[in-house]
Amino acid sequence: MSADLGTTVDPPAQRWPRRPGAVTTAYPGGAEPDAAGDPAAVARASDRGARVAAVAIALAWHLVVGLPGQLAARSQLPAAPLAGAAWLLVAGIGLLAGHRLLRADPLPAAPLAGLLLACDAVVFAAVGDRHLFAAANWVWSGLGWFLLLAVWGRRTSRLLLLLAAHSAIALATLVARGVTAPADLARFAMYVYGTSSLPVAVFVGAAAIAGMARERAGTAAAALAVEAERAAAERARRDRQARLALVSAAAGEVLDDLAQGRADPGDPAVQRRCATAAARLRRLIAESDDVPDPLLHELRAAADLAECGGLAVDLVNVGVPPPLPVPVRRALADPLTTELAGARDWARLTVVAGPDEVTVGLVTPDRGPGDGSGPPAPAVDDEKVDHVYERDGGIRWTQTRWRKR
Amino acid sequence: MAEAVTGVPPVGVAIVDDHPVVIDGVRAWLATEPRLRVLATGDDPDEVLRAAPEADVLLLDLRLHGRMVLDRLAELSAAGRRVVVYSEHTEPATMLAALDAGAVAFLAKHEGREHCVATVLAAAQDRPYVPPALAGAMVGDPRPDRPALSDKEREALLLWFQSMSKASVARRMRISEHTVKQYVDRARIKYTRAGRPARTKAALLARAIEDGLVRPEDIGIYRSHAAADRPTP
Repeated sequence: MSADLGTTVDPPAQRWPRRPGAVTTAYPGGAEPDAAGDPAAVARASDRGARVAAVAIALAWHLVVGLPGQLAARSQLPAAPLAGAAWLLVAGIGLLAGHRLLRADPLPAAPLAGLLLACDAVVFAAVGDRHLFAAANWVWSGLGWFLLLAVWGRRTSRLLLLLAAHSAIALATLVARGVTAPADLARFAMYVYGTSSLPVAVFVGAAAIAGMARERAGTAAAALAVEAERAAAERARRDRQARLALVSAAAGEVLDDLAQGRADPGDPAVQRRCATAAARLRRLIAESDDVPDPLLHELRAAADLAECGGLAVDLVNVGVPPPLPVPVRRALADPLTTELAGARDWARLTVVAGPDEVTVGLVTPDRGPGDGSGPPAPAVDDEKVDHVYERDGGIRWTQTRWRKR
Repeated sequence: MAEAVTGVPPVGVAIVDDHPVVIDGVRAWLATEPRLRVLATGDDPDEVLRAAPEADVLLLDLRLHGRMVLDRLAELSAAGRRVVVYSEHTEPATMLAALDAGAVAFLAKHEGREHCVATVLAAAQDRPYVPPALAGAMVGDPRPDRPALSDKEREALLLWFQSMSKASVARRMRISEHTVKQYVDRARIKYTRAGRPARTKAALLARAIEDGLVRPEDIGIYRSHAAADRPTP
């Protein structure tokens, strides 16, 4: 049996993907998963431009439109200091909200909105009848932008609710002052429409863009994961085909020798070649996982190596191991790979895996005390992995077991 | 001839496989056991059973002419035929599906003569026999509605799957070989509740109760009694 399976064994350092969806891969063609990033982070990044614009509009409007209007009429206002204090408070709220929004920190939306609406009512009361519709009543046009900042990133209905409260305060003031002529009500309606439509449009537009960015990033990340898994599966398939070709050639050679009479079926060496070839074929057939699990991969590599030394190895696995930390995987696999290297004749390697427990067993014939190779060195004491080694005269039994704690 | 020796009629076996070389191999295995007699062979279950309607056990290759015959297996089991499935398809899901469909036992083709003879003999008496590969499938059963096995039953299945030696399992668990077999067989009996009802499953269960392997009340509400796993006398 000249075929050398060792040539097809992957280097142990090869990194294997742990599970679909959370793929880390060293395969050619597999892009870095970080490139796609977290869809939520992408949405936050694309939202940043809109946040900068909203903060700039609110503060600039407050400074360039609100302040001069109020200052020009300050001598005619019934309570100019009150209006001035409200302006300063709103400016302070704007600066705080802007600072936190630009740092993507959460905002206390309800207290801010409450304060803003209180300022709203104060200014309406402070400007008197003459300036209700004038530039001195800066809350008409400017406050909507601050309400927008207070509820940024939340549902549109919140903004609509606040703008409705803003309009209700205005309407209540008009009614209380008896400013209810048809012309006044028409101006009120125009003001409500004119001052609310732009903040709503900006708010809805920004939310839509952020949503689209999140969706696109999510799709890209999913596509990348699928691609990485496909690449891993393709590589596994190629590896298996290469090994199948080698194993088939080796098995074919034995069969050919038997058919031609060059090999004697009674010869123990020939029987051994047959057993080894059969074990190899069986193991290949048993590999049903598309993307190899790292633990199974390690054990298969060890089995392949041991087989090159003439050992007939059966590897049977039931279930798919959960993603395990590297030290746990080492503690599970190392005692068995060590024992496998010293085994004679045959070996049965079994893996039974579930989400909470993985048990790996190795059984080899016990060749008695004179065998030379003693029990393997005790494994590093790992609180999560039990290691049992036994010899009972018939078999040597190594078992490692991980249990989720 | 077996009749002449023991006075008990031998177990009639029918073999269904689409590879003549496998039929010859299995026939050779069974020929070494005087209590067994192969009555008919072929690649179609209907034809084979027409030739030997009195067969006690049907050895069925699960893949015939490129097709998995789980549906035929279910029909045969529902009709009360004791079917031992033997297959090279040893994925745990396939083995469990065969049990659900009513197979008396599942034997992996590479498990060899000893297991084959033991499985057929047990099947003829409606007694369970769990070869190591099937034990692995049962202990690793991931299905949420799997039978609730006790810790001892799980451990016995796991160690039997690993070592393929009941003597070694007995030493390891510090119990007798007989008790190991009881744990393994009792786990198998719990599987008679999985999947569709079949006459073969009822027969296995009835014989297990008769043998004292399980108590009727254990099976009726065995899920809540899973912890009570002391060996029966």
